[in-house]
Amino acid sequence: MKLSADTYRIQQDFSRFIRTGRQVPVPGVKPAAMAHYRRLVYNVVCDALETGYPIAFANLPRKKWERMVYKFFSTHACTAYQVWKLPLDFYTCAVENSWDEQYDIPYLYDLLSFEWAEMELYNMEDQAPPAYVPGGDWLSDPIAFNQEYRLLHFKYPVHREVGRRRLLNQVGAYFVLVYRMPDSGDIHFTELSPWLAFVTEQLLAGITLTDILAYAPQLNMVVNNKLQEDTIAFLQHLREKQMVMGFIKQ
Amino acid sequence: MVGIGFRRDFAAELLNGDQIRPDFIEFAPENWMNIGGYWKKQLHKAVEKYPVLCHGLSLSIGSPEPLDLDFLRYVKSFLNEYRVQLYSEHLSYSKCDNAHMYDLLPIPFRKDAVAHIAERIMQVQDFLQRPLVMEIVSYYTPVAAEMSEVDFIREIVKASGCQLLLDVNNIYVNAFNHGYNAREFISQLPLDKVAYIHMAGHEQVAPDLIIDTHGQPIIDPVFELFEWTVQRLHPVPVLLERDYNIPQMGELNGELQRLKNICQQHWHKHYETVG
Repeated sequence: MKLSADTYRIQQDFSRFIRTGRQVPVPGVKPAAMAHYRRLVYNVVCDALETGYPIAFANLPRKKWERMVYKFFSTHACTAYQVWKLPLDFYTCAVENSWDEQYDIPYLYDLLSFEWAEMELYNMEDQAPPAYVPGGDWLSDPIAFNQEYRLLHFKYPVHREVGRRRLLNQVGAYFVLVYRMPDSGDIHFTELSPWLAFVTEQLLAGITLTDILAYAPQLNMVVNNKLQEDTIAFLQHLREKQMVMGFIKQ
Repeated sequence: MVGIGFRRDFAAELLNGDQIRPDFIEFAPENWMNIGGYWKKQLHKAVEKYPVLCHGLSLSIGSPEPLDLDFLRYVKSFLNEYRVQLYSEHLSYSKCDNAHMYDLLPIPFRKDAVAHIAERIMQVQDFLQRPLVMEIVSYYTPVAAEMSEVDFIREIVKASGCQLLLDVNNIYVNAFNHGYNAREFISQLPLDKVAYIHMAGHEQVAPDLIIDTHGQPIIDPVFELFEWTVQRLHPVPVLLERDYNIPQMGELNGELQRLKNICQQHWHKHYETVG
């Protein structure tokens, strides 16, 4: 490298000030102008996080949010060169530093993962579905799914509650299917029962509904006509929503 | 050719083309790489309708650490996929200690920085197999400078063989902020290396400080500096940048037309000769 150690250190000092706001003397620098750099950069970071996590920003205690954002940018080396991916860096930083405990927000990771899933799906590259045909048998044929989805598992119902007390009072197992509509690019959410989450997961892995139903008693499920009809009705609903595309003919 | 930055805020109007009709569009690869869904469809429509130039944000040519080759691979693939005619970047750095900072930080004007940056520009040009057009950025404070800004730029151009993006508003902003004469500064640049011009608005935030915001209309003194500058250049593409406070399309189109008129007035002889 042709850069001298001195120039390298000066660039580090300048950028560390930008990240922390803690001023260090840098030769030739106007402190007032330096503060503008800090302000401009920090605004970009705050905007990206408030846009990426609108529910968290609106509902978490403001002081805690501000402390998290400050801690994030001053200590975490942001790897994303695309600003829209900055919220993922924030989520990673939160998990790495156990912020759920540190800031006493037990549902923090559920909330961040829920909001990030929406952002990620909205922007992610197009994923072609497997080759499929429109007609088939719900029971015996593998199902072709839209590949632009996330199947999320939460301990807190962050997809339908925002208040801290109500979230903490409803600890449980929640499943949400988030997917992108192929035509419009809009993001849709569907809450799933544990059974339907299991079915979806297995169908996505290529298992047929017949085989899933055969396994159901091991999950303490009573397999009867109603369960089968309800499950098929759910798949038909997903088809209307373009989450199910058709059937894979082997 | 006078173009405009393709922004999501007015993508529909640009695709419609009734109220505003630039000669080309420009966008940052970083804002569109590996994107799918609705916006990818819009991008495809835009590329079908307009010639495309790209202006990068995250190359960080002045960073102390090594170039991000994975990032460059994505850029190369993107530029080829969209048949991008020109790729420009900034003479600044936006990454240090392996952390991105999402803004353009000023590089110390020093001999070792010249050598470091020139080497990296050549590396990028080799990798991308296309010339790199480097923008002279606006800056709000010098940092540990050991040489003048203009010498710094001239030496980088000479050592690397890169081309220049002359952002006329940046020169106006820098001249104001650092107390020099914008025309003298431009006169000292290797003007034969200018391949692209940017024009934008700015905001004065203190009696002695202007910030390059891209959020205001271009002011008359910057138009005047632009007109003075184009008389010293061969015709190159000119871009209107507007990123914030997006006005009615009529106002933006008015700025585009004013830029076109100036270009036609001073470059028409060239067009006649070439045509």
